[in-house]
Amino acid sequence: MTKIVMPGEMVSERPLRMAYAYTDGQKTYSTVVAMLSPEGKLIPLEGPYDALPEDYVVGFVSDVRFAGYSIDIGTANPGSMSSRDSREKFSLGDMALAKIIAVDEVKNIDLADARKLLGGRIEKISPVKVPRLIGKKNSMITMIADATGCQIVVGRNGYVFISHKGDHKLAKEAVEMIEKEAHTSGLTDRVALYMKERKAARGGESAPASGMPPQGGMNAQPQAGAQSGQGGMPPATGQ
Amino acid sequence: MGGSGPKPKLLNSDGSRLDGRKLEEMRPITIEARVLNDADGSCLLTWGRNKVLVGVYGPRECIPRHDQSPYRALIKCRYNMAPFCSLEEHNRSGPSRRSKELSKVISEAFENVIIAEAYPKTQIDVYIEVLQSDGGTRCAALTAAAVALADAGIPMKDLPVAIAVGKIEGKLAVDLFKDEDNFGESDNPIAFAPRNWEVLLYQADGLLTRDEVEQGLELAKEAAKKVHEVQVEALKRVYEKPHPPSVPLATGMFQ
Repeated sequence: MTKIVMPGEMVSERPLRMAYAYTDGQKTYSTVVAMLSPEGKLIPLEGPYDALPEDYVVGFVSDVRFAGYSIDIGTANPGSMSSRDSREKFSLGDMALAKIIAVDEVKNIDLADARKLLGGRIEKISPVKVPRLIGKKNSMITMIADATGCQIVVGRNGYVFISHKGDHKLAKEAVEMIEKEAHTSGLTDRVALYMKERKAARGGESAPASGMPPQGGMNAQPQAGAQSGQGGMPPATGQ
Repeated sequence: MGGSGPKPKLLNSDGSRLDGRKLEEMRPITIEARVLNDADGSCLLTWGRNKVLVGVYGPRECIPRHDQSPYRALIKCRYNMAPFCSLEEHNRSGPSRRSKELSKVISEAFENVIIAEAYPKTQIDVYIEVLQSDGGTRCAALTAAAVALADAGIPMKDLPVAIAVGKIEGKLAVDLFKDEDNFGESDNPIAFAPRNWEVLLYQADGLLTRDEVEQGLELAKEAAKKVHEVQVEALKRVYEKPHPPSVPLATGMFQ
């Protein structure tokens, strides 16, 4: 059965190399409050974002320099993007989806391929809950985007862009609900049911204002429920 | 330690302490994690009449820049007593020398436990506010800080816990309250890493024989096990109660 383990609690009788754990040469112990799956894998329940190359992240321009930009992605030090590495021009405060192309040993983060995100705002969730928000094969995020008619972009860093178009209030509630209950099972069905009830309560006012077909979800890390968020593919757009 | 004037009796005729406790008995403890909306991790702890609130922020940008280390995060624990925490703190401004000492020893205890190499060029701020004090506040502070750090998901090798042992009227006792601390013969706050019971902090105030030190360590360990259980239970309970709501971060206001 899955159980919650504490820092320093033993997770294996053998010395293993695994994420969120350390070994003293004899046994292996957790380093964070995490769920220990029956297969022996640690799923952290909280924690800062661990930047990796190929991750897609959402952020906003926090400084404009001579040959590039600083982009706040929630890490201790902002990511840097050189002007040469992006097709668009950005102003201070612009929100963007960008790809991490390099992380060095002192955690300087280089970004590229930034695309402006317009007409919405950024909500922040804990980075360790991002895989749950995306769902297996984007199932969760696509469901929310379709039900609300919003454009939703999930960065691996935990920043979530939600468009003003569509039922953005419901989208935010769904995101918050998933963050709160990420560690529970049956969440996808509960979120679907919750959204159905809320839409019914509002009497069908949640149709997209502009009459466009629902945008669908666009997420930045289309791995099937990947916990480590490694590897990268170009972001998918749900229909 | 030790006030002026005649010392009060610390043990009743039946051997119990002034608050009715047995020598090896602890005061009641409650711990709640995730109590602050904007902190990365937080903890509110009551221990007897002590009340401690801890907020953890980080890893975040290290300021001042010249202090930052390219090898690891800086652990900055700030132990602070609120002006209203006790009658002695009335009207005090700024950290006392004692507060600076406790900030240092608590930071050093955590430096042995936090896996700081994972976050170079950053700092991890642990703000410890003592809201009400009645002896043993540094143990309460460290115990609460451990919970707050775990709540923040900062990787650690263990979940530290602290408790004080001392000597009152010739007898070893656990978890001294203020009068016992001030008028007793010895006060020894001790912090442990519960995995192997390694000592992370040991401060000795007053005189103990070698045997008493050894016995004291055993007493402390037994009591600390119970405190550790409360810490663990508090962290598990986070996942059964609702979280504080989030707020939007950026609104694209320059568009």
